Amino acid sequence: MSDMKKNDPKFKQLGHADNKQLFEMIHRGASRRDVLKYFMASGATLAASSALFGSATEAIAATPKRGGKLIMAGDQHGPNDTLDPALYTSAVDYFRGRMFYGSLTRLTESLGWEPELAESIEANADATEWTFKIRQGVEFHDGKTLTADDVIYTMNRHLGADSISKAASLVAMVDRWEKVNDYEVKAVLNSPNADLPIALGTFHFKILQDGATDFSTAVGTGPYKVKEFSPGVRAVGERFENFWGEGGYLDELEHYGIGDSTSRLNAFLAGDIDAMVNLPPKAIGQVESADGKEVWSLQAGAYVNITPRLDMEQSANVHLWKAMQHLQDRQRLLKGVLKGQGSLGNDQPINAAYFDHCPDIPQRQLDPDQAKFHWEKSGIGSTPVPVVCAEVSPAAVEQCLFMQREGQKIGANFDVKKVTTDGYWGAVWLKEPICVASWNMRPTANIMMTLAFKGDAAWNETRWKNDKFDQLLVDVRGEVDPDARRQKYCDLQTMIHEENGMSLPVHRNYVDAAASHVKGRTSVPLNNFGGAEAPVTLWRDA
Amino acid sequence: MLSLIIKRLGIGLIIVFAVSIIIFFGTKILPGDAAQIRLGQEATEANVAAMRERLGLDKPYYLQYLTWLGDFVRGDMGVSLASDTPITSLIADRYINTVYVAVLTAAIGVPISLTLGILAAMFPGSLYDRILTFVSVSLVAAPEFFTATLLVLLFVFVLGVGNAVVVGSAEGKGLFELIAHFALPIATLSFVIASQLIRMSRAAVLNVMSSPYIEMAILKGTPRRRIILRHALLNAIGPIVNVIALNLAYLVTGVIVVEVYFGYPGLATLIVQAVQTRDFVLIQGLGMIFCLTYVILMLVADIAAFASNPRLRHPK
Repeated sequence: MSDMKKNDPKFKQLGHADNKQLFEMIHRGASRRDVLKYFMASGATLAASSALFGSATEAIAATPKRGGKLIMAGDQHGPNDTLDPALYTSAVDYFRGRMFYGSLTRLTESLGWEPELAESIEANADATEWTFKIRQGVEFHDGKTLTADDVIYTMNRHLGADSISKAASLVAMVDRWEKVNDYEVKAVLNSPNADLPIALGTFHFKILQDGATDFSTAVGTGPYKVKEFSPGVRAVGERFENFWGEGGYLDELEHYGIGDSTSRLNAFLAGDIDAMVNLPPKAIGQVESADGKEVWSLQAGAYVNITPRLDMEQSANVHLWKAMQHLQDRQRLLKGVLKGQGSLGNDQPINAAYFDHCPDIPQRQLDPDQAKFHWEKSGIGSTPVPVVCAEVSPAAVEQCLFMQREGQKIGANFDVKKVTTDGYWGAVWLKEPICVASWNMRPTANIMMTLAFKGDAAWNETRWKNDKFDQLLVDVRGEVDPDARRQKYCDLQTMIHEENGMSLPVHRNYVDAAASHVKGRTSVPLNNFGGAEAPVTLWRDA
Repeated sequence: MLSLIIKRLGIGLIIVFAVSIIIFFGTKILPGDAAQIRLGQEATEANVAAMRERLGLDKPYYLQYLTWLGDFVRGDMGVSLASDTPITSLIADRYINTVYVAVLTAAIGVPISLTLGILAAMFPGSLYDRILTFVSVSLVAAPEFFTATLLVLLFVFVLGVGNAVVVGSAEGKGLFELIAHFALPIATLSFVIASQLIRMSRAAVLNVMSSPYIEMAILKGTPRRRIILRHALLNAIGPIVNVIALNLAYLVTGVIVVEVYFGYPGLATLIVQAVQTRDFVLIQGLGMIFCLTYVILMLVADIAAFASNPRLRHPK
C-alpha cells in the first residue's frame, strides 16, 4: 500500500492523539467494529475507518527484509489445480492465486476490506451502484498497464447463467459492469448489497488481463510471477520487480501440497518446508515445544455439524433434533478432540469470527435433562436412529460418537455408520436423513446464510424453509443503519439457532504451523495460511 | 523362438484389448456423471446436456468405446475432466519421477538382493542363511509406511541427514544427485522388493539344486560354487526374471504409499486423485498405461525365460 489516495485518512496522516488511540486499541486486541465505532463517532465514513484499521495493523509488524526463499506446503493438491481464478476449488489454488494475481479489494483480518487495485470505492445511498476508481500505473507481468477493460473482462466471467465461475453466486445481484473511463468502472446491481467490496476481495475475483484464455501460466499483477507451475506438482513464483505496491519480499516463493498429514509434519519438523497447513491437533504440543517452530492459528467460523433432514419421516421429528442438540458435549469436543483450537458452537453458523456475530444468543450446553424431556416427547424410544458420518474434518466423526454415548444414557439408540470420505459429498451429503458436514468460513454472515440456510439454497442441508428468514436475509443487505443491521442479523441467527434443526457443536480454528523465520504472516480467518492472503507480505528473517 | 515370441505378443495384445473393455466399462459403472462433474454443482440442466454432447457422452457406449480406443491407439488420451489439460501432459510431469524411482530402485535393489539370495542358496542352513531368512521374512511382513517411518526417524531425525519428503524437482540432476534426491523412497522400496527377491532367488536356486543332474555334478566332484553359478543358476533364471518383472511393474504402478509418504507426485498417486475427482478420462488413460506396463514387462520376462531354457524353446 504505497500510494493511497491523498485524502485517505491513513493513520500516518492522523493527529497524534488519534494515532496513539488507534495503536493502543489494536494492541489491546480491538476488533474492526470497535475501531469503526470510535472513528465513525468522530465523523469518518465507513470505508475510511476500515482503511485506517488495516493500515495501522500493518504498521505494527516489523520492517520486512528482502530476499531468500520460502516453501509453504498446503495439503491436498492434484491434477485439478488451476491458474484460472474463476475455477479455484482448494486452499492451494487460493494461495497460488494470491502469489500471481491482485484483486480490487483486499480483506482485512477482521473481515473488512481495504482498496487494492481499486484505489477508491464508492456506493450510492442504497448500495445498488458501486463505482471503482482503478489504481493507475499498475503493471501486469508482461508489462501491460492495468485499465478498466481488464477489470470488466474479469468481472464478466462471473456473470450470467452460463458462467463457469465457482463464485458466481457471490455476485449474482450484479446486473452489469460498465466502463466509465479507462480508470473507472461501475457495477450496477439488481438489489442492494452493502458487502460487494468484501465479496470482490475473495479468492475467485483475481484480476485477469483483458481476453485472457490461456491458463497454463498466470499473467497477473501480483507480487510474484510464474517461474514454474504444473498441476499437482508445484508452483514456484519469482519476485515481480515492477510490482506496484509494498510486498513481494522474497526472491522465490514455492507452494505445493503434501497430502499426508504425518509426512507434512515430518517435513516441517525436519526443516524441509518452512510452513504447513492443518497441523493435526495431536501435534500441536510437539510443534509448540520444538525450537524455532510456531503454531499459526486463526479463530475462524469454520464448523462441523450434524444435519437432520426436516423433509424425511424420522428426522423431521422436532423433538428428535432438539434432543440431539442437547446431547452435544461441546466442551469435551473442543478440549479433547480439537485440543482447544476452536470455539463452542451454538447451533448457528455465525460465530465471533464474523463481523455480524450476535453475542446475545444464550449458549446451548450439554443438558441430559432437556434431552431426555425431548426424547420422551419424540416417541422414538429405542428404535435405532441412523446417523451417517465420515472423517470430513477433525471432530466430524467424534461429534456423532459423543452424541451416541450421551444418547445411551437417556435410552436413545443412535446407529452411527462411518463411511469413507471418497465420494461422500456426492453420495451421502444432502441425501441421507441424518449425516454430517464440514464447512469453511465465508467472508460475510450474509453469504454464509444465503449459501446454506436460505429456503431455496442448493446446499440447504436440513431443507428448513422459513419465509420470514428468507425475506429478512435479503432486506438486511441494503441496511445501512448499524443498529438496525445488528438487530436484523441477531434475528436471523436466532431463527437458525431455534428452528433449523442442525447441531453445530464446535467451530474449528485454522491451525497451521510456521518456522519462526517466516514473517509477514496474515490472519484473515477465511482459510489456511492467514486466509491465503500471506503471499504478498511474507518475508524471511535470516 | 520367433514364433513363440509372436504368439506371446498376440496373447499380450488380446489381454490389453480385454483390459481396455474392462477399464472403459468399469469407469461407466462408477457413480457420477462426467459432464456434471466438469461443470460443478451449480450447473443447470441445459449446460450439462450441452457438455454431454460436447464430450460425446450422449452417444451409445460401444461408439464411445471405439472412439476412445481409436484415439488411444493414435496416442491421444484426451483431456482431463477435472482440469481441462491434456492427459499426456499430466502424465509427463509424473512419469519422470516414477521412472527415476523405479529404475534406480531396480538398479540398486535387484543386484544386491540376487547376490544375497544366491549366497544363501550356496550355504543353506548356515548362520548367514538363517539371519537373512529372518530379516527378509520380517521385511515382507512390514508395511511400506512402517519401513518408511523407521528410515525417516533414523536418518532425518536421529542422524540429521537427508529430507523427510522429496523436496524440489528432479530436473537437470546427475545420477548421484538423483539418488540423493530420492534416497529415502529408493531405500524404502529396495527393502520391499529385496525381501521378495531374496526369498525367490534362494528358493529357485535350491529347487534346481535338488534335481538329479546337480546330484550328478556333485558326484563328479565339481566345486559347489561352479555348480551353482554354471549349472544351477541358468535353470533358475526363468522364475527369477518373472519375479523381477512383477516387482518392476509394482514399482511403476503400485507405490502409492511411498509416493504419498514422501510427498512427491507420481503415477500411482495420480490415479488415486483421478478416482477421487471422478476424472474418468484420466482413470482410463492411466489404467491402460498400467496394463501396458505389466504386459510388456511380462513379455520381456517370458522371452528371457525362453532364451535361458531350451526346454521351453523346444516343447515336446
